[in-house]
Amino acid sequence: MSENATNALRTSLLPIPRSALVLWINIALTVILAAIGLGVGFAQEGLPAQQVILYTLVIAALFLVTANYVTVVFETRSEWQAATTADEAEAQGARSRKVWRENRILVLAMAALLLLYLLLTAAIPEFRSIKNLIAFLVLELILLFAFKVSGYFASGRSAFIGLIVLGALIVISAFSIEGFLSGPNIKAILLFAAFLGIASVGQTMVALLGGLDLSIPFVIGSSNIALLFLITLGVPTGVAFAFILILGGVVGLINGLVSFRLQGQALIVTLGTGFAVAGFTQIMTSIGSQFAGNVFGTVPRWLSNLAAMNGRFFGLALPPTIIIWIVIAIVVIVGLRTTAWGRNLYALGGNRRSAALIGISEFRYWVGCYVISGVFAALAGSLLLGWSGGAFIGVGDPYLFTTLAAVVIGGTSLLGGNGGYGFTVIGVLVLQVLTSFLLGIGLEYEWQQFIFGLLILPMVALYGRSPHIRATV
Amino acid sequence: MPERAASSNAYLLVPIILIAVLVGTAVIRGPALVSPSGLGSAIIVAAPLILATYALMVLAVAGRGTVDLAVGPLLAFINVVVVKLSTAGLLTSPIATFIVAIGLGMAYQLLFALIVIWVRVQPIIVALSGFLALTGINLVILPRPGGVAPEFMSGWGLGTTIFSPILLILVLATLGWYVFTTTSFYQNLKMMGYDERAAWTSGIQTEIVRIGAHLIAGIYVGLGAICYTALISSGDPTQGQNMTLTAVTALVLGGVALSGGRGGVTGALLGAVSLWLIGYVLSTFNFGAIQAFMTQMIYGLVLVVSLLLTLLVPVIARRVSFVSPGAAFLVLGLVVVGIMMQVATADIYAAVPPAAVEAPLAARYFLIEPVRIATEGGGISRVQALSLLGALAALAFVVAARLIDAEAGARRMGLFLYVFIAVLTLGLFLAVAIQPDAQIFGGSR
Repeated sequence: MSENATNALRTSLLPIPRSALVLWINIALTVILAAIGLGVGFAQEGLPAQQVILYTLVIAALFLVTANYVTVVFETRSEWQAATTADEAEAQGARSRKVWRENRILVLAMAALLLLYLLLTAAIPEFRSIKNLIAFLVLELILLFAFKVSGYFASGRSAFIGLIVLGALIVISAFSIEGFLSGPNIKAILLFAAFLGIASVGQTMVALLGGLDLSIPFVIGSSNIALLFLITLGVPTGVAFAFILILGGVVGLINGLVSFRLQGQALIVTLGTGFAVAGFTQIMTSIGSQFAGNVFGTVPRWLSNLAAMNGRFFGLALPPTIIIWIVIAIVVIVGLRTTAWGRNLYALGGNRRSAALIGISEFRYWVGCYVISGVFAALAGSLLLGWSGGAFIGVGDPYLFTTLAAVVIGGTSLLGGNGGYGFTVIGVLVLQVLTSFLLGIGLEYEWQQFIFGLLILPMVALYGRSPHIRATV
Repeated sequence: MPERAASSNAYLLVPIILIAVLVGTAVIRGPALVSPSGLGSAIIVAAPLILATYALMVLAVAGRGTVDLAVGPLLAFINVVVVKLSTAGLLTSPIATFIVAIGLGMAYQLLFALIVIWVRVQPIIVALSGFLALTGINLVILPRPGGVAPEFMSGWGLGTTIFSPILLILVLATLGWYVFTTTSFYQNLKMMGYDERAAWTSGIQTEIVRIGAHLIAGIYVGLGAICYTALISSGDPTQGQNMTLTAVTALVLGGVALSGGRGGVTGALLGAVSLWLIGYVLSTFNFGAIQAFMTQMIYGLVLVVSLLLTLLVPVIARRVSFVSPGAAFLVLGLVVVGIMMQVATADIYAAVPPAAVEAPLAARYFLIEPVRIATEGGGISRVQALSLLGALAALAFVVAARLIDAEAGARRMGLFLYVFIAVLTLGLFLAVAIQPDAQIFGGSR
């Protein structure tokens, strides 16, 4: 009985109450409302008659349907309650609990977002605009979409969610910031994404083995000043460039060798070598110079062309760094997926013991990953020299946790064995587009940091949760 | 400390040796350290770092690879909030300040624990998230260093005397941990850190234990923030990152296992003090323009080397089972105190011009007359020579006793250590009493 009633309620487009009296009351109310609407509409000067009639009709129709619907609901509810026995009430409770259990993260995330929006609105007067409200609503909708649809993906959920977030960000930015989709802005986003992406190659590889490399920012800064130092010494630029890459590899080698037996503490070991490398480089470049720690010189033309905003690539107005990044990304993604080396890396990250049993040398892969990390950090540092045109040891500092954030947001597990560089590319793009968006709406650097911090947690909570302890015993 | 020798506390060997070398070098290079104002300011400068390291230590013991990278920004956050409130005139009484500081620390750590427990994200990611968020919000609250600390703190940061309120906070925090180690909650914490699954299976409510560990860490961070506020007597939102990096380094130097289940305030204290001493020793050398880079490089190298040394600890502990950390601490402590006394008292005698030596050869070399021989370096007085001899004898005694103990197969030195320390302390007072003008550790130089 109750099932039928609810079914009827759901399927019929125009609900009709069973009692004729109530139906007539509803119709009468609608007519009265329409009359009032017409009266008010014509009382205002200057409104076209067609418009008044149209709106009155629409409102009257809507009111009629709503009133009827409400009546039907009230009618059926009493029957429903009468028919529901204790058992069914229990089942009902269980079902609602199940719905809550399945959707609680979504509800909580949306509530958190709402809270954040309200906070921002309350704190910053400039934030209160209709555009931001729309942007916020779009974000909530897309969150909903990401949650409900991503459940159907067996693997690559993080990539899917990342892409959704990326799409949402671009849509929101495009209509809340003027000139967001203009050529120069896209170029700038891609260029900074390229630097971050190149620096994150090693972090991704190392994370696939379950390690961390915090020496990246120090290697970036060191290679930045060391390259300019070598160039001012008169070393041919090409040779200097290659030499810096080799030095980066050497630092990575040291990292790998030292941290192999201390894998649980790779975070600290790499931090230590990073300190040592940064200090050593500055001492070396300070010898015979009166400007301690600062290197002055001119950056060769080809290097600035490589990375500067106005760089050209075979006539294309595109900095070659972006092309380099794309090539590196393709090589790394394909390499990790198809070569034996890449597959073995995943095997090792997933389970050391079984990997060792099929004859994979953990030592060689661990050290190899750190060497790659060092080389790419040095490459990023050298390219950054071309971008800025002057050497500065602190140029790597923003990359201390950003590379980690890019890897994590992309969806590579820090426990190893899961993820890939493709994910990191998505993470890098999300971070850069978000930065550009936050800059566009006029938020300062500190607010950007704050939002990055708050963003990482829900992103990881979507896909990177560890099992409950009772599931592991 | 005289627990099961050689096995459970062997990880303390590296920090003990490190700190002995460092204190020795520091005292020789910078004698100003051994004076009330030197020690007083040392305590005040090192206190925030020590307390931040304590907080990290508690979390590290709780396991799951928890390294709270946000400890520095959190400390800075409490600092800027307290300063902001005090500048606005809302925070004047000491009790309210302590409540605000500790409350903020505990609230953040509680949130951290709840996220780790319920959302089940790796702690390192929560920490990273907290680091970025707090660094950002600090700059929003206080865009640049400034503001004034609460009035009652004004005298705390001077560092003219050893016994300051800061020292009291430090001592209470350290003693508090030792009291805590006697509870069964601590046993549960250690077990959870070592093997969470085993702890859970054996009926420990790991959630509650984890929340408890985080709350303790929050208290330590709050106290650290108060010490930091007293030290700089203003607000500084920018030092969070440095504080995190140094505190993590100190944690590792102190031999606390990041994998969980092992650690205590002894190691954390030794690590933090060593780290501070490295900076102090380096500042006594004059590297000119490259001073900062040299410091940075040495920090890094010490960090890596001491990590590598911890790999050797099991080997050492197996080979020389009679070297317990307690005994090593005693022996090295004796040497260092000797150096300190020498440095603290040398000036008094150096002021006395060496007497001309006209005595016959035999008299000169058998030290009959005069007491002091005119040599190039610093001579030593009779009392100093006596105490030096005494110290050497004590050293020999300790080593011999330990060897005998080890030969006998005993696993602990037990009462012996306490008696020995009591005798030593008495001896020190005696030495001071004989030599009233020596101004040990004193000196208006």
